[in-house]
Amino acid sequence: MLSVSTTCPFCACGCGLYLLAEPRELAGVAPSETHPVSSGRLCARGWGAHEAALWGNRVKKPLINKHGTLEPTSWEDALDCVARRMTGLIKAGKPIGVLGSARATNEENYLVCKLARAGLHTNNVDSCFNRLCAPLLAGLEDVCGENVPSACIDDIERSQAILLTEGDLARTHPRAASSVLKAVEGGARLITLGYLRTQMARIASLHLETAPGNEGEVIDRLLAAVLNLRLDDPTWVAQHCNGLDELRRAIGSTRLTDEASQAAEWLARAERAVILMAPPIGHPNQARRDAAALATVAALTGHLEKPGSGLLPLLPRSNARGACDMGVTQGYLPGHQPICDPPAQQRLRDLWGQQLASADGLDAESLLKSVSGLIVLADDPPSVLPIGQRAMAALAKIEFLAVLDSFDTSTSRMAHAVLPIACFAETEGTITNMEGRVQETHAATVPPGEARPGWQVLAGLCARFGVGVSYNSAGDVLNEIGLAAPQYARREQRMPDKVWGGQAVQGLNGRKYNLRAAGVASLPTDDRPTLLVRDEVFDWGSDPLISYSPTLSRDSQSQRKLFPKGFVEIGKPYADELGIPVGRQVRLTSVTGQAVLPIRLRPGLKSGVLVVPFAFRDHVAQVLGTDGVTAVRLEQA
Amino acid sequence: MQPITLTLQKRDGTQWLEKLLSLGEVIAPVHGSGEDVIFSTPACADAVLWDFVNPLHPPKRIVLPQTDPLVKIKHNGQGHEVEPIYDDAPRILFNARSCDAKGIAFLTRMHEMEPADESYLRRALRLTVISLACTAPCPLGFCVCTNSGPFLSDGYDVQLTDLGENYLVEVASQKGHATVSCAPNLFRPATESEIAQRKRLEAEAKNHFGEETCHFASAMRRVSTGRVSDALWQRISDWCLECGACNFVCPTCYCFSVKDLGRNGGWVRCRMWDSCQYSAFTLEASGHNPRPERKERMKRRFFHKVSAQYYQRDAMVGCVGCGRCIKACLGTTSMPAVVSAIRKGKWNE
Repeated sequence: MLSVSTTCPFCACGCGLYLLAEPRELAGVAPSETHPVSSGRLCARGWGAHEAALWGNRVKKPLINKHGTLEPTSWEDALDCVARRMTGLIKAGKPIGVLGSARATNEENYLVCKLARAGLHTNNVDSCFNRLCAPLLAGLEDVCGENVPSACIDDIERSQAILLTEGDLARTHPRAASSVLKAVEGGARLITLGYLRTQMARIASLHLETAPGNEGEVIDRLLAAVLNLRLDDPTWVAQHCNGLDELRRAIGSTRLTDEASQAAEWLARAERAVILMAPPIGHPNQARRDAAALATVAALTGHLEKPGSGLLPLLPRSNARGACDMGVTQGYLPGHQPICDPPAQQRLRDLWGQQLASADGLDAESLLKSVSGLIVLADDPPSVLPIGQRAMAALAKIEFLAVLDSFDTSTSRMAHAVLPIACFAETEGTITNMEGRVQETHAATVPPGEARPGWQVLAGLCARFGVGVSYNSAGDVLNEIGLAAPQYARREQRMPDKVWGGQAVQGLNGRKYNLRAAGVASLPTDDRPTLLVRDEVFDWGSDPLISYSPTLSRDSQSQRKLFPKGFVEIGKPYADELGIPVGRQVRLTSVTGQAVLPIRLRPGLKSGVLVVPFAFRDHVAQVLGTDGVTAVRLEQA
Repeated sequence: MQPITLTLQKRDGTQWLEKLLSLGEVIAPVHGSGEDVIFSTPACADAVLWDFVNPLHPPKRIVLPQTDPLVKIKHNGQGHEVEPIYDDAPRILFNARSCDAKGIAFLTRMHEMEPADESYLRRALRLTVISLACTAPCPLGFCVCTNSGPFLSDGYDVQLTDLGENYLVEVASQKGHATVSCAPNLFRPATESEIAQRKRLEAEAKNHFGEETCHFASAMRRVSTGRVSDALWQRISDWCLECGACNFVCPTCYCFSVKDLGRNGGWVRCRMWDSCQYSAFTLEASGHNPRPERKERMKRRFFHKVSAQYYQRDAMVGCVGCGRCIKACLGTTSMPAVVSAIRKGKWNE
C-alpha cells in the first residue's frame, strides 16, 4: 500500500492529500493533517481525486488523423507531424496560436509559453480561464501596483470581519468556505455581496444584495461609507494613497446606506479582516473596475498593510495562478512581465536563445476563432469558454489542431494530432495555488499505455522548433522557470515551509495605493424588466476530472439527462408574482434573440432575475449575445 | 483459546516487528510528509511509530478499501462470466488505537449479518489487529462516551500497553497467539504487579480526557422519538459543506456505491466508499431523489448513528469516539456538535 503526498488537482485552494495506490492502480485518497492549506480537511472533490485517473477515458497512444480518423502512430511520427504542419502554416503566413491550461503544471505551462513565443514566434498564448482571472488580477494591480494576494486561506479563520463577493464559495472553493464557516462560528462578522442568497449569504451577518452585473453600485456605496470613516484621518490617507480627489469625485453622488455604513464599520474596526473576491460577472472592463474598487476598500481600511489581513482573489482552477505566472496570458511573459518590457525581453532572449515575437497576441476566444494552427495543452475550450458550442464550430475550422491531454475530450476528438500525457496522479511538477503557494505534485502511479509526462512531450516539440531544451526531469524545468520568472527564483530559500512548498504571500507594506471606484453599469430597459444572468460558477461537470469520476459526476450527469434542453432558474416570489408555472417551458426574448426552455425554482434568487447554469449556456446563446447579463422579456411558452 | 498476558521488553519491540514483517503485510502508523502520521506499510521495523497521536485517516481501508474490486466480469460471446475476487492476503494492523480496533470489530459484525459479505469477511478474517492502548487520550477523543477506549476489553487480537520499561501484551485470539509464538524468546508471562499497573493506567487515562464529549443517551431519545424539528436540521445543514469527510474518516461508516471499471477487455465491479451526505447518494435512475435536501440527509445520518433502532441491532452507537470528524469536517457539523444540538434543540444560539 503506497501513500504519495501530492496537491489536490481541482480548485485553486491547493489542499494537500495522499494518493493511495495498490501496485500500479490508484485506490483512494487520504487527507494530509498538517498541510498548511488544508490541515486535514478535504472537500468531496478532494476525496474523489483518484477517480478520474482510474475511470477516465484515457488517451494511451499518440494519434494522427489519417483519412479522416485518428490512428495510432509512434511518438516520433506524431511530434514530427505537429512540427511539420505548424511550420507549414507559419511559412504560408497563416496565424497560429497555443493554449496553455489552468489544469496543467507550471512546468508544462512554462514550456507551452516558451514553445509559442520562442519556437513559433507568436504571442497568441492564453488559457481559457484567463477571461475570469485577468480582470480580477488587473483590478488588483491597478490599485496595488502588483497582482499578488495579500492574505492566505489560513488568515480567514482568524479574521474578525470577512467581506465576500459571492459567486458560490461553498461550491467553488470549499476549503476557503470552511474557514469562513469556522470564523463565523467563532464570532466573525461575515458580509456577503452578490445577487444570490447562497449558503454563505444565509450564515452572513449582513448580505449586501446587488443587481447582477451591477455589483459596482453596491461596492461604491461600501467605498463611500469606508471613505466617510477614513476621512477622520486625512494624513493617513494622504500618506498611503494616491487619487483621493478623483475617488471623491467618482463616488460623490453615491448614497450612503445604513447597511453599507455597518459593513464599513465592521471592516474598519476589525484588527484582522480578509476580503475574498470571486471573479465578477458582467463585462471584463466592469469586472476590472469592481476588483479595483474592492482593493480600494481593502487599502482604505488599512487591511492591505496588516499581517493576517488582506485581499485574496478567488481564482477558479488549481493552477490558474501558475498559468498566469508562467506567461500563459497574451500580454505577459513569465513572471508577469509585460511583453513590451525591454529588460524582460532581453533576459528571455538570452535564456531561450531565440528572438521573441513582438506583435500583440490574442486572447483564448479570439485566438480560437482566427488561427489556422493551434496547439492545445490539457483543455477543452468548448466546455470552459462562455461561447460553448460556438467554440466547437471554431475548432472545426482550424486547419491543424494538436492536443496534448491525458483525457479524451471534445477537443481531442477533433484534433489532427493527439499527444497523450500523464495526468496529475502520474507526473512530477508544481502548481501555484491562489495564495501564490508553489506546491509539488507527485506521481503515485504510472501513465497508461505510451503516455508521457507533459514536460517531456513539450520539450520534444520545443526542440523541433529550434528552441534549446536540456531537461532530465520536471525539476530541471522548474530551475529554468526560476531564471525566467524572478518570483520563482531561489524558491527553496524563500519558502519557510520546505516540506510543503512555499508560502508566497508577501505583505504590501510601504507602498502607495491608487484609489479607484467601480462605477455603475447600465440597467434593464422597461419593456424587458427581467435580467437573465449566466451563472459564472464554473461547471465542474464538464471538467474531465469530474465528468470521468463515478462519484463526483452523478449530479451533473443526472441534470443533463433530465434536461436535454437545459433550463433557467427563477426565485419563488418572482415566479408567483408573474404567475409563471414552474417546471413548464418559458420564452425568453432579448434584443439579440429568443429561446424556449424549461424553468425551475432556485432558492434564494431575488425578484427580477433569472439564472442559467453555465452548463446550459448554449441553450440561451441567442438571448445572451456576448454578455453574461442581459435584459429579457419572460413569458409562458 | 484462553486469553494470556505476556510482557515484552521495549527494546525488543523492533525485533518482534521484524518477525511480523516476515509473516505478512504489516500496516502501522509511520511518518508521512511534514508532521503527518499515516497508516501505511513501514519500510522497516524502525519506521513504525510507538508514540503518536492517532492518524486522521483511519485504518478501516485495510478491510474496506475506498476502491474495492469485487468481481471480474467478462463477455464470452454468449453471455457474461462472473468471477469473484477475493483478497486472502494475511495482514497485521500494528499499533492501531483502541477506537480503530473497535471500529473494525463493528464493521466485521455488520458484514457478518445475513447475507454475509464474503468479500469483506475473507479480508477481515485474515487480519490480525494488534492495538496499543491509549495511556494518554488524544486531544479530540471521547471514546470513553462510546465504550471504545482508552483501553479495550474486546475487539483486538493483541492489546499492548506501555508500562514504561516494558509492554504488557494481552493476547485474546488464535491470530494474536500466532504473532507472539513466532518470537517466543521475546515474551515472558506478565507479573501480577504488571497487570495491576495496566489497570491503574486505564483508570488514570479516563481522568485525562479533553473537553470533547458526546451525550448519546439523551440524543438517542430525541432522535428515536422524532423530537428533532425540521427547522433545527435546516439550521444545522447550512453549516455543512457536503464534503463527506465525516463518513470517510469514520471507523464505523461503510456505505458504498458500485461501479464497473474497464480492464483487460472486461470489467472489474468495484465497491466504492460513498457518503450519505452527497446529494446524489440516494439519486434514483429516474432522476427522483428521496432526500434532495441536505437537512434530510443529515437527519438520516444521525438517525443511523444514534437512534435506538440501530443501537439495538449493533449493540453500540455508530461512533467510536475517535474525534476524527471534528478535525476533518469542512463545516462545523461533527458528531459531538450535532449530538449536542440534538440534545439541546439549539444550534449556534
